[in-house]
Amino acid sequence: MHFAIRYLTEYRYDAAVTDNLNSLRVRPATTSTQRCDEFHTRIEPEARVSRHLDYFGTEVIEFGVPASHEHLTIDMRARVVTSEPPDPPEGSWESLDSGAYLDAAGEFALPWQDQPAIEGLEDLDSQLVGGTPLETLKVLCEVVPDRFEYRPGATYVGSTVRDLIAAGAGVCQDFVHLSLVLLRRRGIAARYVSGYMWAAPEDHGTDSLEVDTHAWVEALLPGAEGKGEPVWVSADPTNRRLAGETHVKIGHGRFYSDVPPVKGLYMGGASSELDAAVKMSRLDPQASARA
Amino acid sequence: MAGYRPQAPFLDELFEADGTPRQTAEPLIRDLESLGADGLAEAGRRRDAMFMQQGITFETSSTGGGSHDRPFPLDLVPRVLSGEEWRAIKRGLAQRIRALNHFVDDVYHAREIVREGLVPWRLVASCSHFARAVHGIRPPGGVYTHVAGCDLVRHSDGTWRVIEDNVRIPSGISYVLENRAAMARLVPELFASYRVRPVEHYPQLLLRALRSVAPSAESEATVVVWTPGPANPAYFEHAFLARQMGVELVEASDLVVRDDVLYMRTTRGLERAHAVYRRLDDDFVDPLEFRPDSLLGVPGLVRAYRAGSVAIANAFGTGVADDKAIYRFVPDMIRFYLGEEPILENVRTYLLSEPEELEHVLARLDQLVVKPTGESGGRGVMIGPHASEQEIERMRGVISAHPDRWIAQDVVQLSTVPTVGEDGVLAPRHVDLRPFAVFGERIDIVPGGLTRVALEEGSLIVNSSRGGGSKDTWVLEDGDDADRAGPPIADTQPPALPDLRYGGWTGQQQQQQQRRAAAGER
Repeated sequence: MHFAIRYLTEYRYDAAVTDNLNSLRVRPATTSTQRCDEFHTRIEPEARVSRHLDYFGTEVIEFGVPASHEHLTIDMRARVVTSEPPDPPEGSWESLDSGAYLDAAGEFALPWQDQPAIEGLEDLDSQLVGGTPLETLKVLCEVVPDRFEYRPGATYVGSTVRDLIAAGAGVCQDFVHLSLVLLRRRGIAARYVSGYMWAAPEDHGTDSLEVDTHAWVEALLPGAEGKGEPVWVSADPTNRRLAGETHVKIGHGRFYSDVPPVKGLYMGGASSELDAAVKMSRLDPQASARA
Repeated sequence: MAGYRPQAPFLDELFEADGTPRQTAEPLIRDLESLGADGLAEAGRRRDAMFMQQGITFETSSTGGGSHDRPFPLDLVPRVLSGEEWRAIKRGLAQRIRALNHFVDDVYHAREIVREGLVPWRLVASCSHFARAVHGIRPPGGVYTHVAGCDLVRHSDGTWRVIEDNVRIPSGISYVLENRAAMARLVPELFASYRVRPVEHYPQLLLRALRSVAPSAESEATVVVWTPGPANPAYFEHAFLARQMGVELVEASDLVVRDDVLYMRTTRGLERAHAVYRRLDDDFVDPLEFRPDSLLGVPGLVRAYRAGSVAIANAFGTGVADDKAIYRFVPDMIRFYLGEEPILENVRTYLLSEPEELEHVLARLDQLVVKPTGESGGRGVMIGPHASEQEIERMRGVISAHPDRWIAQDVVQLSTVPTVGEDGVLAPRHVDLRPFAVFGERIDIVPGGLTRVALEEGSLIVNSSRGGGSKDTWVLEDGDDADRAGPPIADTQPPALPDLRYGGWTGQQQQQQQRRAAAGER
């Protein structure tokens, strides 16, 4: 699929602020199933921008506005082409212990939440039946949304898995954090993916949609018996399915705070009002709607 | 010193096993005898009054939870090292610190030692001080570990062993300098028969090293000492070093980053800072990159560091090299990076994340020392032979739950040095040694270092936060050592900083909360 994405963030401050430093992780990645053809950012007030790749390979765009200002606009435009990934491999549970798997998994297999025990986790864990890691991943994509209500406002940007379980509701960020904990408990390496998602209804053609940044997981699944490398497979527990060409990846990390789309700090006690919008438009003919 | 008996099996550094003074210690023992118990007790009283008056105190917390200041406990019997002994230590330390510096660079770049199969990557990535935010950044001069304080102990067989590396923000150098000054005032007669190599030039060495790595093309580099503030237990040392080097002592509110350059606020406006000797943990240095709730940090500092416009000493992320789980690999690092055999030995260490080693350790907890990884200052350490059965059982549970957070080590038979008791009488007490190395264009180590002494009989815990004291450490001049003090530096006092406090920083972040796809709804 071929998309144009515009991600517009506007901050209005109720008093002048200075030294507004921000880091953006918003550029669609180029991967084996995705290519970012065009990418522009515009900052207002004007600011010098620098870029680098972070530890996880995500492009980071940094800027600072030193002088006094009362509003900040971050305007990002991108064009990206995506394709469906190949069928995920059906490797066995035993393959998770192989040296090749552990090498590929690296730190994404390490236990993450180090609190002693999260109440309610055992119960969720017991529902994750599956003859193979792939089956379990698919079950996970049902269990999490079955169990938790999707409700913006139930949690906030710093919420933990414990908060999600206590609230019984959350947003995609929380669903992903919980999924990562559950997968890693099973020995399946898993990482947090930040990106954009084309969320059009299947049956009627739409050219353009207001969306938001989205999050899903990548789980490392072992190759089928004895052959093939382990493969990172994308799955979207918020939307009950494996992710495919509708998902535009920005980058990944161990958890949200490794890949926040916009992170910033400014000097001054003013409070800010945020208006953020992501608009996705399809540029290719609707006839090729996804399977 | 009639009646002083070294305690077998420990090596006593001033006395032979049979109770006769070692040759290098003979004049010292003679002079201590003529001072006598009363003379030593009297000098001790003068010392306490002097330290309290000068504010050279240490905050201790009692078991009741309260804390109070007490004079830093300097024992009046010095430790004596021959020039020859010191040279071996110095060579060994310089070798070790070079290897540690290589390791930090490697971890954040090519990871060659991992690809070579010598250090498991998962172990590195598990280190609590592994700093992903500085991946790929190479600091000015390629130096990361500008100030290192490795802790050494002397085993009963006479060999020196490194028990712990400290390449984050090792503290204690101010006590080395203050101890020497205090000894010269309190017991000048002890120095009469010795030529003791000086230590006072440490601040010069540090300033020279910081200037040598500072990215300043045109003018003389501006160096600052960054303290978290007067509430920090080591604030005295921060102020001491800034004063001795003649540079500004700053806090986060005195610093600001603009366009990837670090500036200091002064009465004359913003002034560029080229090198920062920072005395706070990575976690708190930049809320944009490390802990977002840090109020002590300077937002954007990592950007300036990445841009190469400022040198940070020690570099961010060095904690990956002094993690207790990594310690075991230091001899391998020396062989791998330098192609040399280690001069100083390690203490035998067991990695509890390895199942066989865990089993071995759990069966011998009463004979081993157990330490939490990623901690310092002796926190959480259990010494098996000194622990009660309940303590051992409790530790067994804690370790079994999170084996990867612990290491175990063989018990080292720390050497002893005669130490003055309340009554002025000498008794053997265990010591370690923390020499301070400064890495700029080269590695300089002031002779000796901080000798820490466990003041309680039989105790092996020398940390000052846990009832340890210190001793002046003498390295004897024998005319055979090349590293001498550098050129003198101006003994200027920094101007007091005006109070330019700004309002707090405010953060902005967006939660990821895209609604579900319509197609996904049921």
